[in-house]
Amino acid sequence: MKKIIALIVCAAMISVTTAGCGGTGENNETASNVVKVFNWGEMIGEDVIRNFEDEYDAKVIYETYDSNEMMYAKLQAGDKYDVLVPSDYMIERLLNENALMPLDKSLITNIDNLADEVKGLPYDPDLTYSVPYFYGSVGIVYNKNNVPKELIEEQGWDILKNTDYKGKIFMYDSERDSFMIALKALGYSMNTDNEDEIQQAYEWLLDLNNTMEPIYVMDEVIDSMANSVKDLAVVYSGDASYILAQNEDMGFCEPKQGTNIFCDSMVIPANSENPELAHKFIDYVLTYDASYDNTYTVGYTSPNKQVRDDISSEGGEYYEIESYIPRSGYEKDEVFHDNAVIREQLSNLWIKVKSSEE
Amino acid sequence: MRSFRSMIYPYIIWSFIMIIIPMLLIAAYAFTVKGNSVLAFRFTLENFRAFFADSVFLKVLKRSIYIAFVTTVLCILLGYPTAYIIANIAGEKNKFMMVLFITIPTWINMLVRTYAWLGILQDNGLVNTLLSMVGLPTLRLIHTDFAVILGMVYNFIPFMVLQIYTSLTKMDKSYLEAAQDLGANGIQSFLRITLPLSFPGIISGITLVFLPAVSSFFIPKLLGGGQYVLIGNVVENEFLIAGNWNFGSAISLIMAITIILFMWLAKKADKDPSGEGGV
Repeated sequence: MKKIIALIVCAAMISVTTAGCGGTGENNETASNVVKVFNWGEMIGEDVIRNFEDEYDAKVIYETYDSNEMMYAKLQAGDKYDVLVPSDYMIERLLNENALMPLDKSLITNIDNLADEVKGLPYDPDLTYSVPYFYGSVGIVYNKNNVPKELIEEQGWDILKNTDYKGKIFMYDSERDSFMIALKALGYSMNTDNEDEIQQAYEWLLDLNNTMEPIYVMDEVIDSMANSVKDLAVVYSGDASYILAQNEDMGFCEPKQGTNIFCDSMVIPANSENPELAHKFIDYVLTYDASYDNTYTVGYTSPNKQVRDDISSEGGEYYEIESYIPRSGYEKDEVFHDNAVIREQLSNLWIKVKSSEE
Repeated sequence: MRSFRSMIYPYIIWSFIMIIIPMLLIAAYAFTVKGNSVLAFRFTLENFRAFFADSVFLKVLKRSIYIAFVTTVLCILLGYPTAYIIANIAGEKNKFMMVLFITIPTWINMLVRTYAWLGILQDNGLVNTLLSMVGLPTLRLIHTDFAVILGMVYNFIPFMVLQIYTSLTKMDKSYLEAAQDLGANGIQSFLRITLPLSFPGIISGITLVFLPAVSSFFIPKLLGGGQYVLIGNVVENEFLIAGNWNFGSAISLIMAITIILFMWLAKKADKDPSGEGGV
């Protein structure tokens, strides 16, 4: 009897202690037909991996992460991959550390499929090291029944401080997105390193926190807004497309004060063990079928021009979904730059903002 | 006996690799400046100064301890009667079934169970849907103290119940018979025999509940929302976002010392001969 209980307790404790480290088992296969891909969670079409494996007689070891920082931590810990899909600022950081391999364009013939909007981005203007995977913007999803379209277009980010919507706001629990909003609302660059501007942004967020009862969330925002839990939510455009497709009461607005345009791109780490197959994988993702599968499943905007135009035109899955094609060419929009000093400063300020109210 | 002694060496090596070395690394990080590698050791107290100089961190630490304390007290108040009932139920088979019911939820990943509460407590979740169906006003449940503490109690209570249950079953029943012979009523014999004898169970239950509760960062993040900052979230932030492992290590060390202090107090209460030392 006691033994059984002891066994149960042990099983329970093991299950709890291992809960934190979701299955990312080591794999020592280094055969020439194996490619290790490290991508965002829930960021790939249902059949992309299987079709690639069939077509190239290859084996894909596929692992996922929840944030750029988590991916970076894994790389630091010494894990090796052949293809990564970091965001713009993380690519910049990896490039500064010489951690990426220049791509052999002759192996990526489908690069011509890319739309112009994803070319010439500041972190890698000539696509020497990276090939876009998805791109998007940060905006506000709003309930069209409770928030007039004219109002949100007129107020932009300032609507997050409109006391009519007190207690009805979701924001991202991210110092990067929150400070971007505050800096943009104040008319500054999101990449500022001016102490005074950062201080003003901090006070802007503090004021918002203490007057509007915002809730800071992560990916739960997607399901919550699809169920109309709040009236306003700061959301990435790709997630907004999913929400808008699910719930026709919801609208999407890219604020007039400008926003963050981001691009997640495929790169090959300098220590890749199979760069040849990694190039083939990148080339395959750029094909019409794989790109279509990706964007259809995930909802983020495809950098493949043909796919993007097809899926957002009449008869396509994202026809009349206003968030599907992010704004481009708007002078107040910016791409995020990595700055380690500012990053640390903002993340500590963000903790202060969040815990400022008793 | 001597031959058995050598059997502990694998355990010593194991605990050295898995416990001692990581602890030393944390300490090494905590007392060094950011940027220089651990090898180029340069001693500093700056990380600790930064922690105590800023009231926000102390506030967060205070709140973490408060939440963990409330969780632990609730676990005792709810867990003790449960363990008592199970220990006194007739039949080994019934006992086994009851223990099974307590432990079954822990077979499921903690993340999944916490997500389930999100669905129940959500503004338009299960509870509020039922309330509005019968015409009652809806409640604000999610993203409150209530939700966080509920999530913690729910996740950690099995450890309390099992600890107390084990100490209750270990108890020698003849003490109770003796007490009855001497004319003690049920309440008296519970207060003077059962409760003191089960005290070690309560203490180890406190250890198993308080420790994960004070350092938990996932439950508050999900059920409390991002504005619900506990000390575990600050550590996570320092390591993953701010990239300041030194400051993160210093906070971890401060937390570890705080916890050791609490455990020492609890141990002291355990030795208290009156057996009435509070929690």
